[in-house]
Amino acid sequence: MTQSKIRPWIINALVAAMYVVLCLGPAAFSLASGAIQFRVSEGLNHLAVFNRKYIWGIVGGVVLFDAFGPGASLLNVLFGGGQSLLALLILTWIAPKLKTVWQRMVLNIFLFTISMFMIAIMITLMSSGVAFWPTYLTTALSELIIMTITAPIMYALDRVMHFSDRIG
Amino acid sequence: MMSKLIFGRYIPGDSLIHRMDPRAKLLLSFYFIGIIFIANNWQTYALLFAFTLAAITLSGVKWSFFINGVKPLIWLILFTVILQILFSASGGKVYWHWGIITISQLGLVNGVYIFCRFVLIIFMSTLLTLTTPPLELSDAIEYILMPLKAVHFPVYEVALMLSIALRFVPTLMDETEKIMNAQRARGVDFGEGNLFQQMRAIVPLLIPLFVSSFNRAEDLATAMEARGYQGGEGRSKFRILKWHARDAWVTLGFAVLTAALVFLRA
Repeated sequence: MTQSKIRPWIINALVAAMYVVLCLGPAAFSLASGAIQFRVSEGLNHLAVFNRKYIWGIVGGVVLFDAFGPGASLLNVLFGGGQSLLALLILTWIAPKLKTVWQRMVLNIFLFTISMFMIAIMITLMSSGVAFWPTYLTTALSELIIMTITAPIMYALDRVMHFSDRIG
Repeated sequence: MMSKLIFGRYIPGDSLIHRMDPRAKLLLSFYFIGIIFIANNWQTYALLFAFTLAAITLSGVKWSFFINGVKPLIWLILFTVILQILFSASGGKVYWHWGIITISQLGLVNGVYIFCRFVLIIFMSTLLTLTTPPLELSDAIEYILMPLKAVHFPVYEVALMLSIALRFVPTLMDETEKIMNAQRARGVDFGEGNLFQQMRAIVPLLIPLFVSSFNRAEDLATAMEARGYQGGEGRSKFRILKWHARDAWVTLGFAVLTAALVFLRA
């Protein structure tokens, strides 16, 4: 690792820490609990729209929360981390072909909503597979709602923070 | 409010489980999740529960920590169990039937088994995190990911990132609490109203949190650069992981458990 490459990793570390804090914070005021979850931290997934280097921090945050958060389980780590990684890798592949940030955000919302099938698979793996579709619909719906709500917030934050310039 | 939440909570101790190598604990925890799926009757689930309870007792960690580990997921577990009971293929005695919904003996039994699977996975994962310091787990992840270096995966960098993130979670939690209190003093009601209103209340929390986190990151990066940090390659380790005989014995215990599960399986 050369000196110029340290900065993005440290920023990603803080993004991962922020992801965990946002997961724990809203849970305290009952936004992220129950069968349908609304994790405000999912809004951080939009960071990859501004610069793909944020993928490490986002996936790192998911892995840390699923590994050490309340109700942690290693199965969550595999499937939760895998779902985020899958959606973000497809995003970085397609996003350069899209012109505006809004188009990329819509793509990101779509990818995260669709990729919730991995979470549904995880849950149905533990329940012999019969409950896949109701589980998929509810988890995908919660992801669609929270990522749609957080998109304009992240867009506005980027106007202040200039996310892409920060990570270089 | 936030200080009551458990994240990466390590309960210090001197039990066999505490003294195990974190790599062994991490790998065996994953292995345990795999062998749970061998269980398919009450005898195999009873054996898994007995094994887990013995491990918890051996760790000397209070039961309340494990019960608290299940609580945040209880609604998700019950939701899954209810779906399983209602939409499971009918088998055995049918108690109630309406359209595609059937409550049968098989559905109820499967519902109980699913509940057991969730609880076992959460208990074993909780045991891992309660008996292993987060930084040791980060070291174990680094070690386990090492083969990926062959495909140019940035193992050292990812381990560094996870360690720094773990270090900064409590700091950012405190910061968030301060910001929340400051916003509350200005009349913001967190958790009040519908989802959109709750989200609106969170916006004034996000901006200072982002600014503060990015500033911290830049300060830390500058400090590390100033001290000539060059990455993990060739660096010596402060925490050295060592595989002991006890790790081999526990691994053997898991092998015996697997054999017993296969034997008892219906």
